Amino acid sequence: MPKKKKPLLFLFIILSLGLMTYQSSREHLLTFRFLNNTLNKFHAIVNSVKDSVTSPFKRLLLREEENIRLKVEVKRLLKEQQEYQEALLENKRLRELLSLKEKEHRYITAACVIARGADQWSNILVLDKGLSDGVTKDMTAITHKGLVGKISGVSDSYSSLLLLTDINFSAAVRLQESRREGIISGTGLRKCQLKYIPYEEDLKVGDVVITSGLDSLFPKGIPIGYVSRVNKKGKGPFQNIEVTPFEDNTEIEEIAIINPFRNKDRVAGLSNGVKR
Amino acid sequence: MTYLLWAVIILFTFIIQGRVSLFDVSPNFTSVLAYYAGVRKGELGGIFLGSFIGVIEDSLSGTFLGPNLLSKGLVGYFSSFMSGSFFRWTPFLGAIAISVLTLIDDTLVFVSRSFFDKMPTSIQAAVFIGAIQSLINAPLGIFLRPKETQ
Repeated sequence: MPKKKKPLLFLFIILSLGLMTYQSSREHLLTFRFLNNTLNKFHAIVNSVKDSVTSPFKRLLLREEENIRLKVEVKRLLKEQQEYQEALLENKRLRELLSLKEKEHRYITAACVIARGADQWSNILVLDKGLSDGVTKDMTAITHKGLVGKISGVSDSYSSLLLLTDINFSAAVRLQESRREGIISGTGLRKCQLKYIPYEEDLKVGDVVITSGLDSLFPKGIPIGYVSRVNKKGKGPFQNIEVTPFEDNTEIEEIAIINPFRNKDRVAGLSNGVKR
Repeated sequence: MTYLLWAVIILFTFIIQGRVSLFDVSPNFTSVLAYYAGVRKGELGGIFLGSFIGVIEDSLSGTFLGPNLLSKGLVGYFSSFMSGSFFRWTPFLGAIAISVLTLIDDTLVFVSRSFFDKMPTSIQAAVFIGAIQSLINAPLGIFLRPKETQ
């Protein structure tokens, strides 16, 4: 190591450590926060350019294959169509009836994943919807398979989604079959950990885990994943349970954002109305 | 012109980093950039460009300022030894150096964030992320060579 550069190196290390020590007891300094928005804009541009360039080629390649497949499928579907028509209409009516309540009170918007978060250590995805679309912090993100995570940060046009596999994610849950309550936490890897399930609880691999709603953060009854490993040999009063989420982080493209507090607000509003 | 080119490369690196992943792990190309700055510009250039990249990464990651500033600055500084009389650059040494410096970078960020703020991920996940990132970066060490060897 050159001797004349040594003081510079030490000065640099001391300055960096000093800066971190200063921030550890005060508010964090974020010098280029605006860059995050700029970077997200670039991600959106790259996405649209990529789509416009690749989509014609994709269409060409898929057309031939698609044609053959569709001809076979059309024959089959025509036959099935008659049978399903009646059931489909009934299903549609019932589904609309059921989902109307959910949609009206909790559904906020659908969002596309445009990038992974800049922080390599966290399991965060960047979404293309923000404050201007009605998204706020702590809202719940779901797909048709189940819970994906919660909104951890919002700007005007973008938001950050903290995935349920992140180490900083926790939610109150319940085992669907036995109704036993617990807490699910991320591990930083692809699996989650189910905590506070006592040893006497008889668990099976494949048991479904759903949100309990007791944490007032997530609505009740959203599927999260299934028990993939149970270890009763560990120390302490609780079992060591591994849960595999239904939604694979690498496959998430679109999500729905819901407001878990909306129902409560409505109920609160109604009860206020009754009081008056 | 050089500064503009560096700015474009840094922006491009952050875009690439946010769009690709291997085994659900984002690559650490900013560490490669800091390494390259040190290899081409020497101790001073390495430390300054590395710190600059680190400050941007800290700001983008939404945490506090410092971990990446320190780690990338040190990567920039120590990678400058590849172009001096301390080491004689070979493609193999380049690959080893970039892997080791990526691991050092990851370790420094993880330790300083755990110490001064909160643990960014579990230790098991951190080891996995560090290993994957240094493996991704290793081949790049073969191509990023000091000026005098070209």
